[in-house]
Amino acid sequence: MFEMFDYDFMQRAFVTGLFIAVLASISGNFVVLRRYSLMSETLAHSALVGVAVGLVAGYNPLWVAVIVAIGAAWLIEYLRSAFSLYSDAILAIILSGSLAIAVIIVSLGGAFNNSLFSYLFGSILSVTNEDVVTIVIVGSLSLVFLLLFSKELYFIAYDEEVAKTSGIKVKFLNFLLVTVVAIIIALSIRVVGSLLIGALMVIPTVAALQYRVGFRNTMLISLFFALFSVIFGMSLSYYYSLPSGATIVLSIIVIFIISLIINKK
Amino acid sequence: MKFKVPIFDVKKLNFIVRGQKILSDISFEIFEGEYIAIIGPNGGGKTTLIRMLLGLEQPTSGEIKIFGKKLKNFKEWYKIGYVPQRATLVDENFPATVEDIVRMGRIAKRGIFAGISSEDKAMVEDAMIKMDILNLKDKMVGTLSGGQRQRVMIARALASSPKILILDEPNTGVDMVSQQRFYALLAELNKEENITILFITHDVGVIADDIGRLFTINQKVTICHDPKKMLSCEEVSDLYGIDAHALYNHKHEH
Repeated sequence: MFEMFDYDFMQRAFVTGLFIAVLASISGNFVVLRRYSLMSETLAHSALVGVAVGLVAGYNPLWVAVIVAIGAAWLIEYLRSAFSLYSDAILAIILSGSLAIAVIIVSLGGAFNNSLFSYLFGSILSVTNEDVVTIVIVGSLSLVFLLLFSKELYFIAYDEEVAKTSGIKVKFLNFLLVTVVAIIIALSIRVVGSLLIGALMVIPTVAALQYRVGFRNTMLISLFFALFSVIFGMSLSYYYSLPSGATIVLSIIVIFIISLIINKK
Repeated sequence: MKFKVPIFDVKKLNFIVRGQKILSDISFEIFEGEYIAIIGPNGGGKTTLIRMLLGLEQPTSGEIKIFGKKLKNFKEWYKIGYVPQRATLVDENFPATVEDIVRMGRIAKRGIFAGISSEDKAMVEDAMIKMDILNLKDKMVGTLSGGQRQRVMIARALASSPKILILDEPNTGVDMVSQQRFYALLAELNKEENITILFITHDVGVIADDIGRLFTINQKVTICHDPKKMLSCEEVSDLYGIDAHALYNHKHEH
């Protein structure tokens, strides 16, 4: 089984994959509890616009994806607070709009090929050394933020108004949370793919919630599920030449179904 | 009793939404150690007033001072414990033990970068003991009864050692027995811990012996310094706009 690690690309894929599992599952706890699940999906599609621009203009798609995803996260927060529109409707508009823009950019630039396919569904072959360094450094900063403010973010998720009346800077932390989630999503699309990263963010937490334990244990269980599904999914991807994002997401869905059955009331 | 700087100093507060006057020319002071009940009809502006005191709504005009500071300059929010109306309506799937919730009360007090200190742990435990929920500390909040949840929320508010507790009818799903126990706890906190209490309630007759002043709010505020007298007069009927009367429970006379 371990011969897959003889290859440099597998080592890179595992380093980034495991790192993304940690980032996605920990941020996923706040995303799910804040009822932002659809937002992760929307930001993943927005990141695809960045990928398209990067591919067509010749820039590193990862960096452009990070910038566009952050821009989209801020736009969503602004629209939600400035106009009393239905939140899910805003997300649906930006999600489909982003996908449409990405497809048009790629079509006009003639880059609609395997390269884009790997960003849509993830590919363990596509992770470069530069990607590993970017993901580890930027991802570490995101992780520090999440851990540093985890208690405040948890309080906000529980009751935003009471958190506000306790002196917590709710608006500022909400803004930072969506920024960090946008960064994590953009970083993850190399391995998991933009169409599937939302699942790696949301499903481990939803599976962990079935065990009905406190916040700390929920976070640890979701982390374990995410790590397991990335290891299992990437191994399947290697041995059966399947897109890594799809195998990872199917692994976590199986874990979710098992959790649901075990904990059925 | 002689009081010094008021906890809340409210002057000429007005709140107008889309041309409709919700609160009109509200002025009052609340001092340390007081127990004040707020009554009034639904839609009369009780919750709006509380939300303004907490900075959740901005008044159209007027001024609010907290502990002598203008609301926008006030930073010591841990001095105020707030229990909202929906406090007992807990999302059953939310991953929180009783201790997780009570610990939230320490966050504002300790600041962002500090970890949980031994003092924090002691205060959290103390709050759970006061509310008689220490035996429930590892239970998931979603599995508790309405009365138990109510005490958890008060414990969270108490964990920051507040000077004032503001409660907005946190009674949903709470049975009568738990409700009586809840009122007794509030009176005890006021008398023994000198915690100021500002309490929106419909059951003012039951707590009439405990409260010092009664605020009746229906767009305007009327302050009554003798709640028992107030409850027997016609103002209650005027306030609710129907032929209402409050039932006064003479609990200390039995």
